[in-house]
Amino acid sequence: MNQQLNTAFTLFLSLLVEAMPFLLVGVLFSGLLLLFVDERQMIARLPKNPLMGALFGSMIGFLFPVCECGNVPVARRLLMQGAPAPVAIGFLLAAPTINPIVIWATWTAFRDQPEIVVLRVVFSLAIATIIGWVFSAQADLRPILQPAIGTRLKLIATKPEPKQLSTFEQEAPTPQLLQSGTYWLGQKSQPIRMDATVLQATLAATPPSKPLSDRLRLLLDNTIQELRELGAVLVLGSAIAASIQVLVPREVILGLGSGPITSIGTMMLLAGLVSICSTVDAFFALSFASTFTSGSLLAFLVFGPMIDLKGVGLMLAIFKPRAIFYLFGLAAQLTFLFTLFVNLYVI
Amino acid sequence: MLDMMNSMQNRKSKIPNWLLPWLDVLAIASWGILMLRYWLTGKLNLLIHPDYFWLVITGGLGLLLVSGLKAWDLLRRRRTKVTNTGHITLFPPGFSSALLLTTAIVGLLFTPRVFASQTALQRGVTDVLGATRAQPQAFRSSVRPEERSLLDWVRTLNVYPEPDAYTGQKVKLQGFVIHPRELPPGYLLLSRFVITCCAADAYPVGLPVKLLANSQVYPPDTWLEVEGKMITENRGGKRQLTIQASSLKQISEPQNPYDY
Repeated sequence: MNQQLNTAFTLFLSLLVEAMPFLLVGVLFSGLLLLFVDERQMIARLPKNPLMGALFGSMIGFLFPVCECGNVPVARRLLMQGAPAPVAIGFLLAAPTINPIVIWATWTAFRDQPEIVVLRVVFSLAIATIIGWVFSAQADLRPILQPAIGTRLKLIATKPEPKQLSTFEQEAPTPQLLQSGTYWLGQKSQPIRMDATVLQATLAATPPSKPLSDRLRLLLDNTIQELRELGAVLVLGSAIAASIQVLVPREVILGLGSGPITSIGTMMLLAGLVSICSTVDAFFALSFASTFTSGSLLAFLVFGPMIDLKGVGLMLAIFKPRAIFYLFGLAAQLTFLFTLFVNLYVI
Repeated sequence: MLDMMNSMQNRKSKIPNWLLPWLDVLAIASWGILMLRYWLTGKLNLLIHPDYFWLVITGGLGLLLVSGLKAWDLLRRRRTKVTNTGHITLFPPGFSSALLLTTAIVGLLFTPRVFASQTALQRGVTDVLGATRAQPQAFRSSVRPEERSLLDWVRTLNVYPEPDAYTGQKVKLQGFVIHPRELPPGYLLLSRFVITCCAADAYPVGLPVKLLANSQVYPPDTWLEVEGKMITENRGGKRQLTIQASSLKQISEPQNPYDY
């Protein structure tokens, strides 16, 4: 028992020590790019064709390497600044995977199985593009969006961009202080809400004219918020991974992990529940590499960043529950089909 | 869902507000310290592959830098009134930092130990590298047999699995003892853990050793240096490469117990 505890603890620490640097790089990088990439210019050049738009949106992750916590606010801003739905949805689903840091981390974990790295990228891109394309059939987005964003979209349709910085104040149906969040008071007449979501929005919305020191402070605060939040989820995720490895009898794990269908189901369920950040989820999956089918590891790596418990909470900031249900259903089915194909015919 | 999260956020925090940013600073700094300490005390190789040491070291320094900047910022802004009500999006106020800090402290108090025979049995020791296992990156058959490590032997065996091809070759190996149930008395399994990225993917490899005396002399997890030669034995209807030991020497656990 003592030895088991020791093994679990060593496993737990090794996951954390290996993942922490990637988390730091991911958080810093996404903060920096939000600071320096001009979204408005990019949106003006988006392709009009829905399929191309969805594909393009799926690849914006290379410009905004955000985790699945950062992608929701960015997708939300894209929508509010008038980006078409396929682009925003493609981005929402693919950005956590299709970005250099996540690909690097996946490569670090699975350098013995390069096919996992490649297929992760290909499947994520394909699924995000397909779903983005499907959603392009919905011409009027307002029924599936939260009212605040819907109203904002109507505003865009009727008149040009009124003011850029105050998007968050405008959309708020309740006074700022009645909403949850962290606030800075006493700096302007308006309290500024301080949580990761808003920090990132503020970061991106900060006009270049603002002094560099202010922007750097926002970057620092954003880094700390994200490290804290995502770090805590990482700790919990690693604890779960380590406990499963040690506490669940090997026969059960082998039984679930070797079946082509049961293994995919199990890993998708884990992906949904564990909510580990996409920058480091490859290390979580790695601890199952010896017992689970390659297809199921892929299912975890493709499905997890798109939809999980934590992500659903954040997505409610954009979509009505019905839309999230569609997104979830489509993503789950496509992931299942793709990875089952891998299990049965490829590896 | 949102309601639940809101209610979590609205719960009154027991930690005074002005302390929360300092808790963040402490939590992030503690992780930087933990990571650098593993490196400085030479324990990092128990956790991850040496190829990624630089990542951990840079990461540790980076975390220290971030927390240092924040601390400096907090000290400098002490007089300007900043009300931080401490609400956080996912967890109740202070929870995330407290969790990170606690984990780091536990990590500082307890040293990780190398995996042992029980873990090896749980993970299944083989002399076969599965399809998902590390493929030899630089395979040198020209190496003299007695210079091959345990992992070299297992890799060689995977490339050319006919045991007879190795019969009579000299062997000198280090590893730890496992007594699997399948092995009859008079044998032990000499094994090592192999890692490709971090301890999470550590998997054991091993070769059976035919002893001179009864195997129970060497309790599980004893580290041995075995000298002898290769023979082929029939076990469980399968011909298996086995080491016929001529000398067994008890050694202390190597500085770097894993193989790569």
